[in-house]
Amino acid sequence: MLNGFFTPDLFASAIRMATPLALAAIGGTICERSGVVNIALEGIMLIGAFFGVVVTLATGQVWLGVLAAVLAGVALSGIHAFASVTLRMDQIVSGTALNILALGLTGFLMEVLYGHPGATDSIPHQILPVFNFPAASGTGFFATLWNWINPLLFGYTPIVYLAIIAAVLGQWAMYRTTWGLRLRALGEHPRAADTVGVRVIAGRYVAVLISGALGGLAGANLSLEQVGSFSENMSAGRGFIALAANIFGRWTPVGSYLASLLFGFAQALQIKMQAYQDVLHIPVQFFLMLPYVLTVVVLAGFMGRAVGPAEVGKPYEKE
Amino acid sequence: MKKSLRSVLALVIVISMMALVLAGCTPASTPTGSTTTPPPAAKLKTAMVTDVGGLGDKSFNDLSWAGLQKAQTDLGVSAKVLESKQLADYESNLTQLASAGYSPIFAVGFLMQDAVTKIATSTPNTNFGGIDIFFADPIPKNAVGLNFKEQEAGYLAGIVAGLATKGNFDARLNAANTIGFVGGIAIPPVQRYEAGFVAGAKSVNPSVKVISLYAGAFDDQAKGKELGLSLISQGADIVFAAAGQTGIGTFNACQSSKKALFIGVDTDQYMTLTNPGDTILTSAVKKIDTAVFSVVKDAVDGKFPGGQNKTFGLAEDGVGLSPYHDFDAKVPAAIKDAVTKAMADIKSGAVTVPSSLK
Repeated sequence: MLNGFFTPDLFASAIRMATPLALAAIGGTICERSGVVNIALEGIMLIGAFFGVVVTLATGQVWLGVLAAVLAGVALSGIHAFASVTLRMDQIVSGTALNILALGLTGFLMEVLYGHPGATDSIPHQILPVFNFPAASGTGFFATLWNWINPLLFGYTPIVYLAIIAAVLGQWAMYRTTWGLRLRALGEHPRAADTVGVRVIAGRYVAVLISGALGGLAGANLSLEQVGSFSENMSAGRGFIALAANIFGRWTPVGSYLASLLFGFAQALQIKMQAYQDVLHIPVQFFLMLPYVLTVVVLAGFMGRAVGPAEVGKPYEKE
Repeated sequence: MKKSLRSVLALVIVISMMALVLAGCTPASTPTGSTTTPPPAAKLKTAMVTDVGGLGDKSFNDLSWAGLQKAQTDLGVSAKVLESKQLADYESNLTQLASAGYSPIFAVGFLMQDAVTKIATSTPNTNFGGIDIFFADPIPKNAVGLNFKEQEAGYLAGIVAGLATKGNFDARLNAANTIGFVGGIAIPPVQRYEAGFVAGAKSVNPSVKVISLYAGAFDDQAKGKELGLSLISQGADIVFAAAGQTGIGTFNACQSSKKALFIGVDTDQYMTLTNPGDTILTSAVKKIDTAVFSVVKDAVDGKFPGGQNKTFGLAEDGVGLSPYHDFDAKVPAAIKDAVTKAMADIKSGAVTVPSSLK
């Protein structure tokens, strides 16, 4: 029965599904490290996915679409930064408002631009995998090895690799650079940081905008790389899962990536298990539930207490 | 002073956000304009409430609206639509229309069953139609459930898929003798499509392997794509998706991998997808527009068919199979003949298609 269960595409599927979660989770990590909670990631992802498709359909240039997705994410997170850092609004309220705004705005603009709600047309050229190596034929050791390595390492679209780079680069920046030290200080003790001359407001703005850029990129991955069109609410809750991945990854970029990977793997696993329903005789809802159960079990059972940045969620007011 | 300025600014931002949000969910803003002044003879004000998929789903919400629009042109009634953005909107949308004097009001989608039953009971002078809703006894006298034998459309799609996967009229057809089904949420209409699809395929190809996968959502395109890719990697060369917009992702998996043909659902998806000609074999269709129109027509004639559940199958021309379009020349006559024969058998009652897998 397990013959054909653990195949390269199972793991490749996990990495593909982890990518939008990971990008948003790394964004969330950087944002929360500066002391700002960003639950608007769901809306940021949605608006990135939307403007990516709009610009691609208008110009025919998919990379301009990616740029537009990132800029749209930055713009929406800019509102969040202004509301929560400058105006010192409650960060949860601002984030929730932005999520609803993104859902309404994309639906509204779709009617204005395309004359109908629902789903847009497909873009003419979806972003393709970076490499395109042929599969090896035969059943020898090296052929089999290559047929594992090829899809697992070389089978992905560019943003999938960018997510891995973002995780490593983010980890390095957070723990090996002055910027990272200051960023962490903003979330732990902004008053102390301010006293020694770190610009709290500017630092928090930068962190929120970076999370917007990464969230927008996650949206571009969904709409421009994975499916090639936009449909309403296509982020489908991934922004919130990303927030959980950020916590599960203990507010570190690499941790966030690995947590997203676990969730992506659980999804890939349940999809594969559904195909064995004729043997297992379990209702399909059970499989659909598995990734979430796994998340809860891991969070509650194996992790211990997760302690976030001390001042996260609290606006900073200079005395 | 500075502090009060801040709160004013914050308030302004919140209000302008809310304004934008409201603009985004403006009910009834459709390209054609939802409330049109009816011709003078008109008496009836008809309306519908969409499911969360909303207009533009290119599926049951759009089809219901098409039925009402046809009624508007042909019968001179007025038509209005309210879109639900979340499950909690069902009751308030229905109540809002009922108190504004609309009747009949159509509740579109299986998930609205509880809401429409409740409102129909509490407002007995308004008529209600429920698409994909099978009212439980006692059925309110002012409510009619409109259901479809999706299994019959699925059966025809299954015959096409079951025979085609053995064929070689396209380079993508492989020797694995495997076909796939992608479902949105496991609710009765979707499960009927699945049951019919499996039965149809097995009826012409007993050894065929049918793999069914569910996404758990109607609006998650990326998930739909992964489900499609998973089916393809397991050897499926024909994939039938009854999954709303999730199915658009499944279509993309078939088209971009160049390894499988796609069968659409509810409407002729050849008309609604982008450049589908090289990938879409046919669609299993469900003529909700015809059913909605017939109910409005009865209501205009003063014969609203309340107090019952109506079921539309092949015999009532309520379901069927769309043309093969670009594949018309490639699809072998044996497949077309098998479909024609099955249609005759189902209509005559010689074949009864199971509505569940068990």
